[in-house]
Amino acid sequence: MRLSGAALFSGALAAIAAYAVLTALNWPAKAALFPLTMGIPLLVLAVAQAIVDLRDPPLGDRVGRRGLAVFAWMGAFIALVLLGGFPAAVPIFVFLYLKTESGERWWLAIALALAAWGFFHLLFERLLHFPFEPGLIQEWFQ
Amino acid sequence: MLDALVQGLLLVLQWNAFSLMLVGMGLGFVVGLLPGIGGAATLALMLPFVFKMSPVEAFAFLLGMHSVAATTGDITSILFGVPGEGLSAATVVDGHPMAKNGEAARALGAALMSSLLGALIGAAALAVSIPIVRPLVLTFGSPELFMVTVMGIACITSLSGQGTRAQLKGFAMGFLGLLLATIGQERQSGILRFDFGLTYLWEGLDLIPVLVGIFAIPEIIDLALRGTAIAGNAPAAKLGAGVWEGIKDTFRHFWLVVRCSAVGVFVGILPGAGGGVAQWMAYAHAVQSAKDAKDRARFGGGDVRGVLGPGAANNSKEGGDLIPTIAFGVPGSGAMAILLGAFLIMGLHPGPDMLTKHLAVTYSMVWTLVLANVIAVLICLALLPYLSLVTRIRGGLIIPFLLLLVFVGSYTANRQIADLIVTLAAGALGFLMVRYGWPRAPLVLGFVLGKLAETYLFISMARYGYSWLGQPLVIVLMVLTGVVIVFPYFQERRINAA
Repeated sequence: MRLSGAALFSGALAAIAAYAVLTALNWPAKAALFPLTMGIPLLVLAVAQAIVDLRDPPLGDRVGRRGLAVFAWMGAFIALVLLGGFPAAVPIFVFLYLKTESGERWWLAIALALAAWGFFHLLFERLLHFPFEPGLIQEWFQ
Repeated sequence: MLDALVQGLLLVLQWNAFSLMLVGMGLGFVVGLLPGIGGAATLALMLPFVFKMSPVEAFAFLLGMHSVAATTGDITSILFGVPGEGLSAATVVDGHPMAKNGEAARALGAALMSSLLGALIGAAALAVSIPIVRPLVLTFGSPELFMVTVMGIACITSLSGQGTRAQLKGFAMGFLGLLLATIGQERQSGILRFDFGLTYLWEGLDLIPVLVGIFAIPEIIDLALRGTAIAGNAPAAKLGAGVWEGIKDTFRHFWLVVRCSAVGVFVGILPGAGGGVAQWMAYAHAVQSAKDAKDRARFGGGDVRGVLGPGAANNSKEGGDLIPTIAFGVPGSGAMAILLGAFLIMGLHPGPDMLTKHLAVTYSMVWTLVLANVIAVLICLALLPYLSLVTRIRGGLIIPFLLLLVFVGSYTANRQIADLIVTLAAGALGFLMVRYGWPRAPLVLGFVLGKLAETYLFISMARYGYSWLGQPLVIVLMVLTGVVIVFPYFQERRINAA
């Protein structure tokens, strides 16, 4: 028996289902019917799967540094959007990713960042007049 | 009727209408590639531009854009694993693995040709069924619509993979999807469910960020982990050579394409059944049509039939969607509700007038669907050998653009920053599901259908009590649901016995 990532995932599903069921028990019947009907079988199935995963753990289930790095980049992009809004975040993100993560040459990183900004600006701002929220920095200066 | 059909064609071929249709198509082509802002959102954004147009011009512009967006959505789904439109996620399941196997051009050829056939079948259904479809639409009340959603949910058995363990995992994911669909304010009692004190969750989770996160982010991480191009080390010559193979695949599995198109038309006609349902039901049907267990195991790993079914249903749905919108003013989907706004702007009233006084305008819509799809598919087919070369670009170069596609697409669906966080969370969930062998399709199906099922169940109970369970069409749909559930097991047992 080994506590593998697969068992942890199945256990997390079981915990979510248990939380849903316990929460729904406090609601009126109409509101609770669906969450209970879905939550109870999910709880049973997830617990069963967690037991299987504990007894017979699958091999090679590590996420790896590169996978985590992509998640970190996604978090960084969201932070950039919050700070500077989409129009600023798009070229900055493309440039930073290409230069630091992919190790591309300066001219290529700058050219592709400008191309991304150009496409974004032309399609969303010029053509579709799509209203993007300003970032915290723009709001602060206003 | 024939006069009106010809007149409708001539109206679309007029210089103004035709050129506006081409402009709409160009716009639809680009936005169709982006998740989130596809179909309905672009229709809403373009609505103010139709005020000065004639009805034929306005519908040529809007429908040209909308129908092409449905077609090109498949391109990003196949090439990058990013659903081009929220509703085209089913194409990802087999289309993207084909791209990874170096068969991008074949998958794209199959998706485009099946989309074209689906669109033609949808347009034909629209042309012939408007006068006769009224009884069908009026027969489907909330109990029947509830049973249709249950039938859709029952497709989980076909989407879960084979063996007891895979089936149990599939069902668990289906239940999780249905549970996620309960987040937000419960419409009957007003109770806030699983909102964690966040107003963002009052309306529940939106489909686009969840779909895009679950399907696209695991593919992007996989690309980063592999450190190669999407097509890996497949020979470059093989990439562009499969277009004709894909086209031939469409005709090799012609009746599957026809049946899946019929699923699309049927679901499209039903008001409120939702476009996502059609694609997944068509995909499930394609899986069910496998000859044996070995044949069925190919789905999910890059089987062309998994591309043909959803591709056909996605476009035939457009014709089906238009039927209740034109004939009764009852929109079959969100996009059609917006199109209804265009009718009112044009001073047209959907209903009997559209079948008598304005029949030529109605047929001009049919022709717009046909022409826009034929032109779009021809252009795409010419570009396919070049498009498929995108799968040869180094992962390190393409990943930031894919991430932009994912997050800009998720944001443009609702303009909510919180949608970005939901996308990230859904991406983490999708990644872990792939890593630990949990199927994603049942979760999405449960999520798409959960809210609809609950709403229709409540209306049925409030209106009819338990007596709706005895209605003839409900019983027929129950039997069909039973067949959908039992069929894969029956098929497996029959094969094992043989």
